[in-house]
Amino acid sequence: MRSTPTTKRLSLSEWFKTITFYEILVGMKATLSHLVNYRPITLQYPHEKRTLPDNYRGMLALLRYDDGTEKCVGCDLCEAACPSRVIRVVSAEVPGEPTKRYSKEYYMDMTRCLFCGMCVDACPVDALGMTREFEWAVYDKRQLHLNKQQLLAIGDRSFPVREKRLELQHPNVAFFNVAFSHVPPKPN
Amino acid sequence: MVTEFGLRLAISLTQIGAVMCIVVITVLILTLAERKVLGWMQDRMGPMEVGPYGILQPFADAIKLFFKEDIVPAGANKFIFTMAPILCLIPTFIGFAVIPWGPNWTFEINGIVVKPFIISDINIGILYILAFASLAAYGIILGGWASNSKYSLLGGLRSAAQVISYELNVGLSIVGVLILAGSLSLVKITDAQTGWFWNWHIFALPAPQIFAFVVYVISVVAETNRVPFDLPEAESELVAGFFTEYSGLRFAFFFLAEYANMVLVSCVASALFLGGWNAPYPGTLMELVGLSSWSWIESTMWFAVKTYSLLFLFFWLRATLPRLRYDQLMRFGWKVLLPIALANIVVTAIAVFIYQRI
Repeated sequence: MRSTPTTKRLSLSEWFKTITFYEILVGMKATLSHLVNYRPITLQYPHEKRTLPDNYRGMLALLRYDDGTEKCVGCDLCEAACPSRVIRVVSAEVPGEPTKRYSKEYYMDMTRCLFCGMCVDACPVDALGMTREFEWAVYDKRQLHLNKQQLLAIGDRSFPVREKRLELQHPNVAFFNVAFSHVPPKPN
Repeated sequence: MVTEFGLRLAISLTQIGAVMCIVVITVLILTLAERKVLGWMQDRMGPMEVGPYGILQPFADAIKLFFKEDIVPAGANKFIFTMAPILCLIPTFIGFAVIPWGPNWTFEINGIVVKPFIISDINIGILYILAFASLAAYGIILGGWASNSKYSLLGGLRSAAQVISYELNVGLSIVGVLILAGSLSLVKITDAQTGWFWNWHIFALPAPQIFAFVVYVISVVAETNRVPFDLPEAESELVAGFFTEYSGLRFAFFFLAEYANMVLVSCVASALFLGGWNAPYPGTLMELVGLSSWSWIESTMWFAVKTYSLLFLFFWLRATLPRLRYDQLMRFGWKVLLPIALANIVVTAIAVFIYQRI
């Protein structure tokens, strides 16, 4: 920590570069070349939008089958898979059908969601989907606390093509949301 | 008697009004041009939203600043806090009174001699500008002190440290030109540079003022608080430096003062070193085609071209260079620029002395 910097002997060319501000001129040449070869990388966002990749993970949504029934069977696996405790499921039996369950209430606190997609992977009936929506800036963050109706509405507007409801499934596979009266009895 | 006074007053006020309009319009253009040029140099677009290609952005900014809340922080010295932007702005605008915008013509109205391209041709023009430019620094220092805020105070103190580094060099770098022209009047200095462009003081024999020009440009970059010498308003270190606590119209005053100061120093540089309104060739093209009464347009255009080139240099430097520390600035000012300026004076004086004897 000396007060005077160590004086280094400059060669003639170094000395010449110093007094002509050579390094500064090189920098100014660089900036000027960007001005002359003007190719902006800016995307005028609200007017033009970047094409999203195919596996884009956007807003979460609840899906329906093609007959309009909810896919969700209230199994709580998404709630268990979620690393940031976004999801809260209140599961209940379908009234009148004691073998079927559904999510009576389904809440997502999107202020905490980190869009990892684990809930979508965890869902055994593909009831959750990730849409390509990302413009979810709101003035009040309570608007990001979504209930089941809102999530279903997002699913309705983002996934117009719905999956066909399967009434018959192989009995050895775990199955959900299937009316047992339709399953043929096992041959003994 | 009264009518003569009234006429003089009317002429002067007209000139002042015209010059103020030109300066304010130039500042409006500069605020946009700076953001555009910086954007282009950094592969961005600059403002694009207001109007086609963002050309109405300065008006949007002005309207926004007009209607913003005017806040005086608690504990601030209200009088000085109010006065500081004005103290910063007025000296800058006053300086334009002695800038010759066009040829040194005169015409008479009712026996009153009118110089249309200069408000007041006083014989100490350059001293007048230097004196008022120094006063503008008080606005910055007092504004930083009166805000009752750490960052403002630090910005003001840095400005004080900066003043003593550049102020001397600005004055000394001009002396060589004064020796060559033999006058302190900007009109006479500009008139001494007529003819080809090698008569401009930056190239003029017997002593080209190229080093003085470089010293002047570097020093005025410090004087106008521009990058790389924007220490008083270093936004990455001191929130906004001396105008951290200012908002609304008072902030607009500081902003206007900074840009008007840039225009002023560019005008002075083009008048002193780059031949002012003189074209790079003798006379004007308008005279050659027989329109000598319209040649003032060409002259003022040349003045504008020179001034705007220097203003572009300001933007260019801003896009290129990072900020210096203020000990670096002071060391550079005192140990590099000051000796160059002094040596320039000695060399110029000797050269002119010998040149006059031959």
